[in-house]
Amino acid sequence: MKEKVLSIPTPFGAPLDLYKNTWGKSGDTLSIVSGLQGDHLNGMYLNSRLSQFLDSVVEDVGPNYTLKGRVVSFPVANLNAIQSGSKLWPYDGLDMDLAFSGNPQGETTEALASAIYTHTADSYWGLILQSAPPHYEDAPHIQTLKVDGRIKKLCLDLQIETARKLNESTKVNLLHHWHVHDIAAVNISAGSPRTLNRPQCETLFHGIVNFMVAEKILKDNRKLKPEENNKPQFYEASDEVAVLASTAGMFLKEMKVGTSVQKGQQIGEIRDIYSCKRLEEITAPADGFLVTLRQYPIVYEKEPIATILTPKKSWREFLPWSA
Amino acid sequence: MQSQSILSIQTPVGPPVEIIRHTFASQSPQPIKRVSLVAGLHGDELEGLYICHRLIQILKNLEEQDSSAFKGEINIYPAANPQALETGTRLWPFFSNDINRMFGRTEPASLPGETAKTLLEDLKANSDLVVDIHSSNLHLMELPQIRIIKDFEKKLVPLAKLCNVDLIWVHPHAEIFESTLGYNLNQAQIPTLVIETGICLRINKNHCAQILLGILNLLRKTGALDTDEPQVAIPEPKLLQPESVTMVQAGNAGLFIKQANVGQMVSEGEKIGDLIDPLQGQTLEEVRSPCSGLLFTLREHPLTLKGAPLARIANEEKM
Repeated sequence: MKEKVLSIPTPFGAPLDLYKNTWGKSGDTLSIVSGLQGDHLNGMYLNSRLSQFLDSVVEDVGPNYTLKGRVVSFPVANLNAIQSGSKLWPYDGLDMDLAFSGNPQGETTEALASAIYTHTADSYWGLILQSAPPHYEDAPHIQTLKVDGRIKKLCLDLQIETARKLNESTKVNLLHHWHVHDIAAVNISAGSPRTLNRPQCETLFHGIVNFMVAEKILKDNRKLKPEENNKPQFYEASDEVAVLASTAGMFLKEMKVGTSVQKGQQIGEIRDIYSCKRLEEITAPADGFLVTLRQYPIVYEKEPIATILTPKKSWREFLPWSA
Repeated sequence: MQSQSILSIQTPVGPPVEIIRHTFASQSPQPIKRVSLVAGLHGDELEGLYICHRLIQILKNLEEQDSSAFKGEINIYPAANPQALETGTRLWPFFSNDINRMFGRTEPASLPGETAKTLLEDLKANSDLVVDIHSSNLHLMELPQIRIIKDFEKKLVPLAKLCNVDLIWVHPHAEIFESTLGYNLNQAQIPTLVIETGICLRINKNHCAQILLGILNLLRKTGALDTDEPQVAIPEPKLLQPESVTMVQAGNAGLFIKQANVGQMVSEGEKIGDLIDPLQGQTLEEVRSPCSGLLFTLREHPLTLKGAPLARIANEEKM
């Protein structure tokens, strides 16, 4: 059910309306929010794809599933930024994900944040769908502020094999506030801003459906044998290695995000824009998983080019005969 | 004056991005106080740059004529966000990051984050007292003021009183402040005053002259400067606690047509402006002051959304 939850007057026409989708009336609630940044298109598409799917379930068009729990979604959060085709709304320049828990009496972005927070604060699970920061591409992965039994199960059921535990560096984003409310919540980050990767969204879509079945939000009527999920690999912030540019110029990548790298392997190179002379070869400083890679070629000196997640060594590898 | 680049970053096609610290060294064997001034963290806030320019002029002159006046060390960082200043935008344009929301944060890894870290470390290493000068955003005009988070009130109010501002606003803590320069320095036990004045992209020479006088007074009263010039009497600013600030917010969206001026004393019920519907020829709201007092913030940008601040008044009855 699509429901208007906030209507904000605008100076030059019809009001700006914030809509929430709700499916189901009882049971623990899963909330899914996307479009906190106006140019994170993968999340918005994925959320709308889930809306289409859940509509078909409740309308009985899709006989394979029955809805047993409750799902709330906000496919578009930062309405004005989306309409401006930009990360932030130029009028206020405010990052909506630094505006939580919002202010119902405040200006537009704060009022929207408040409405989204208020309508999701009683959830049991929360998913925030996002893309990489500007200029970067993320391999699909989970970001979480803590790792406990519920989060581990959530990650396993989402069928996303990479999970990063973030250092909590701000208390004004939605993920933090959900955690404060004891909601089992994660960010799912995939792709780049301003681009849509439909195959990637399809993979994540199936992961979220799998999660809903596993948590009995959905019942799969086909009585299929449950899929064997690969255990996700959790990485602490200390397992992350940032690869920095030591010069400025044009970065030409040699690798794809989401692949394994070995220490010394070439990730790309930086060339001088006037002469195309190679200034620097960017190589991996450690073995690991390339979770984030520079997408926009123009780079400044000291900018991160890539983030590599380095696996923790098993204690067995430290045994003398393992050398 | 000695100038040092505390950060230099090669750019893809232009000159490097550099943050410069100008230092007027102490002539005492042990500097009495190290005072630092920072301006231009937001690239569209130009009044701090102008104040730094005037201050550098005065201090250079003084250094030539009487270098022994420098009992303490004075550091000036006039342009803390050079690329944002070059484009006249609040944010560093290539990254769209607000550098004054990146202090003390470790994620995400980014060049603005690294820049914030370098600036913070340099200030910590070279300061006993910091003044961070800001203008308001494009929407509001502010009377010269110092804003202090309640937790730091005891230490900062006596220093703020020396700065010749019209008011000192003590406000409650909010989590968003935790990533600002001022908060992080104060947390690190380096008293830091955050001055807010005027409006971005403009220079109000009177306000700048007022603050410049205050900064010179601060430098003298803290012992950083010792000159023979007669002391100028600095008027006592209004000290506002959270309950003494009355905010007027827009109840509708439209164009705000102001009918008052910042710095004016208003009476309860006095008209501040009109909020109009530009398409229908209607007045949506007559905006009136809900109390008597000093109008210290007034909306300058006419385009107004519901909930937007229109004015702030230092409420006489609650002071």
